[in-house]
Amino acid sequence: MAIDKATRQQMMVKGLERYKQEREYFNFITNLLAADPNEEIQLSKEVTEITVARYDEIIRCAEEDKPFIGGYFCAAPEVYAAMDLPWYLIMQTPFLAASAPYLLEDVDAAEAMGLGTDWCTACRLSLYYIEAGLSPPPTCMIGLLHPCDAATMLHQAVVRNDKWRDIPMFCTDPPYLEDQRGIDYFAGELRRMVTFLEEHTDRKLDIDRLREIIIESNKQYELWLEYAQLRRAKPCPQGWGMGGGQCFAVSQIFQVGQPRGTEWFRKLVDITERKVKAKQGIIANERIRYFWFDLLPFGWVFEFMPWLEEEWGAVLVMDMFGYTPYEPVDTRNEDTMFKGLAKRNLYQSPMVRQARGIADYFASDIARVVKDYDIDCVIWPGHMGHKDGSASVGIMREICQQLKVPYIHIGLDLFDRRYTSPEECKDKIGKFFSAMGLG
Amino acid sequence: MESKLKSKVLQEFQQATSTLVNPALQSWKDQGGKVVGCYCSYVPEEVITAAGCVPFRIRGTGSTSTDLADTCLSSINCSFSRHSLDMALRGDYAFLDGATWVPTCDHVRRIYDHWRRRVDTPYLHLMALPKKVTDVQVQWYSEEVAMLRDSLAKHLGITISDAQLWDAIKLHNETRRLQKHLYELRKSDNPPITGAETLAVMVAGTAMPRSHYNQLLRQLLEELGSSNGHSDQRARILLIGGILDDPAYIEVIEEQGGLVVADSLCFGTRTMWELVDEQESDPVAALGRYYIQGRPQCPRMFGDQPKRSAFIKQMVKDFRVDGVISERLVMCDNWTGEQFMFAEDLKEAGIPYIRLDREYIMAGVGQLRTRVQAFLEMMGR
Ligand code: SF4
Ligand code: SF4
Repeated sequence: MAIDKATRQQMMVKGLERYKQEREYFNFITNLLAADPNEEIQLSKEVTEITVARYDEIIRCAEEDKPFIGGYFCAAPEVYAAMDLPWYLIMQTPFLAASAPYLLEDVDAAEAMGLGTDWCTACRLSLYYIEAGLSPPPTCMIGLLHPCDAATMLHQAVVRNDKWRDIPMFCTDPPYLEDQRGIDYFAGELRRMVTFLEEHTDRKLDIDRLREIIIESNKQYELWLEYAQLRRAKPCPQGWGMGGGQCFAVSQIFQVGQPRGTEWFRKLVDITERKVKAKQGIIANERIRYFWFDLLPFGWVFEFMPWLEEEWGAVLVMDMFGYTPYEPVDTRNEDTMFKGLAKRNLYQSPMVRQARGIADYFASDIARVVKDYDIDCVIWPGHMGHKDGSASVGIMREICQQLKVPYIHIGLDLFDRRYTSPEECKDKIGKFFSAMGLG
Repeated sequence: MESKLKSKVLQEFQQATSTLVNPALQSWKDQGGKVVGCYCSYVPEEVITAAGCVPFRIRGTGSTSTDLADTCLSSINCSFSRHSLDMALRGDYAFLDGATWVPTCDHVRRIYDHWRRRVDTPYLHLMALPKKVTDVQVQWYSEEVAMLRDSLAKHLGITISDAQLWDAIKLHNETRRLQKHLYELRKSDNPPITGAETLAVMVAGTAMPRSHYNQLLRQLLEELGSSNGHSDQRARILLIGGILDDPAYIEVIEEQGGLVVADSLCFGTRTMWELVDEQESDPVAALGRYYIQGRPQCPRMFGDQPKRSAFIKQMVKDFRVDGVISERLVMCDNWTGEQFMFAEDLKEAGIPYIRLDREYIMAGVGQLRTRVQAFLEMMGR
């Protein structure tokens, strides 16, 4: 039975409560950063500013009963931008610093709800937020069936939820291997996604507008690549605090194909270039250049990442998000655009690129990064949700042995510091660095 | 629950379940026959049969440690993946002439990568199984079936004709019909066979030359016609879950008085409840449709959950089930999600339900006993 308008309105009011709190948090951070004239801090401030802008947009749509959708970075956000459809990630909260005050409480509440503790905490939390009515219900949703089982199950559970089951959802089906057949198939899935969005919102896709968006996003990716090259410098101009995560947030979430995002990239390249020319590293004495092959530990990032720099002179030169080989999308016609988007969103988007298909894909990424960035060691954090990655530790170790670069697998939860405490992680890493004669 | 059957055939099935290479398979090998492993029930075994080989469902039966696999995988990988890979690394799967995969889950899909690097099997093939169940995916998977057919034929230096494929489909459908007949018998008040015995029959079917198996199963069905049924159960149970190939697990449930009368398992109804459509014009298309739309699906298939749930509820009705037990291997995300959704669906339907976690190799029997007892008591049995 479809939910009535009044129920939907109630759901919206409740769902927006937490959402507005998060916006306020980012507002607060933006104001804080605004007081610091440092150029890089200003770049970070812009990222929090565009984050707030997205929050504002979703809140406005929700309150004015205008369409907004649930979507994903690796499901062609270029299309949502071209259709002028504001979107948010139902999985975003655990990844944002704004969730810090209640993250652990929420993890416990998810457990009490009966969501298995060995299920990715990001998925558990996201489902909990929906079950508990803490996410604003979108007009319709694009779900995700990759890169992991947990995401596949999360989206099925969302569709099944008694309140959200009226919200139509479309998921693109990800082909497993990288080849032309896979590209053609995924391009077809993206076209079907467009049909779905047109059916469930009042928007139509204008191909010329899509071209404009793609042309602009091509510029962003070109600049991102330029920036990624700059990070090869010794000492590395930036560490964990600036890089892949922000580039990803700008180009694939908050400023997809928007000139403001391109301008942000220009500034990033400009600032970084100057630092490289001046041989200015993120820390004064860079002793270890490490490759962090995963997401950052969002739930306890400030307790851990700075320690690596301060205690060990260890600089995160590259992470899983920072160096995927983006190619420009060919904008000649509709067909080339959809195929280009298929390739970009499936084979080039971070995480989906490394975790989706056969092991050769991530193996080649490790080899590329280790060589290109003169890496001293590879750290595989081993998030408890990343079962495919944890099923790959033997292959990662083997590749690192071939590359003659030390490798460590920690085993942690990116969100819940109680799984492996920051202290335990520090201890493990410290012993590893010492044993390998690093630092 | 005491076994009432003194059947030689059943014993043969039980023996096949408790080991990897059973006598029938050994004699097939001795005659020069080839065996191709399948890591998941989504591999279209009919293609392997049509190629003149025996499809063999890969298990971890008999494994006692995961020392070798632990150099490849980690402790957050499910124990089935660790035990089965360990056996392969130890050479226990040297009898295979080939092995085939689909990217079932995050654990099994990486076994393919390790196997490729570390195990010397003459033929390996990975099929890209989609995660949705619309006609587009039927088309995609039909192409995958055709690719398996071509690649296996090329490897063996043969051709696999449509006629051979149809013969294989008919042979496998015959297995399905016989197995379904066995299940039908369990609808009675006094089922002639226990859940544990049934699982042995089902597992054996994935490890023997198919015609031989069908012949044995026919014999068993005849024997069952004249056997006394079980009437001392406290409750009739439906068992659902992922990979479960060890009858001892069900024995523990049945010892407490919960007679397992039906299931949704991938060594159970999911592989045989429906038939491949023999009226289709193209055997490849028939297989594509069967695996993506025709049979009861696994949790990994998006868009199908309401159907899966309806299937469970229908089984509850048809088999007059008192309660549903759902088993999951620790670390299995697919079944975590599925168990959660079933919990909600069955609660809405007022059907008693319990979720159990387990390891692939039987452990924690005491705890299992206690949980099952508590469940039966909760149902007032
Ligand atoms: S397991 Fe990883 S990829 Fe999957 S939902 Fe969790 S964080 Fe995301
Ligand atoms: S039990 Fe779950 S995790 Fe293990 S192989 Fe099966 S689907 Fe994969």
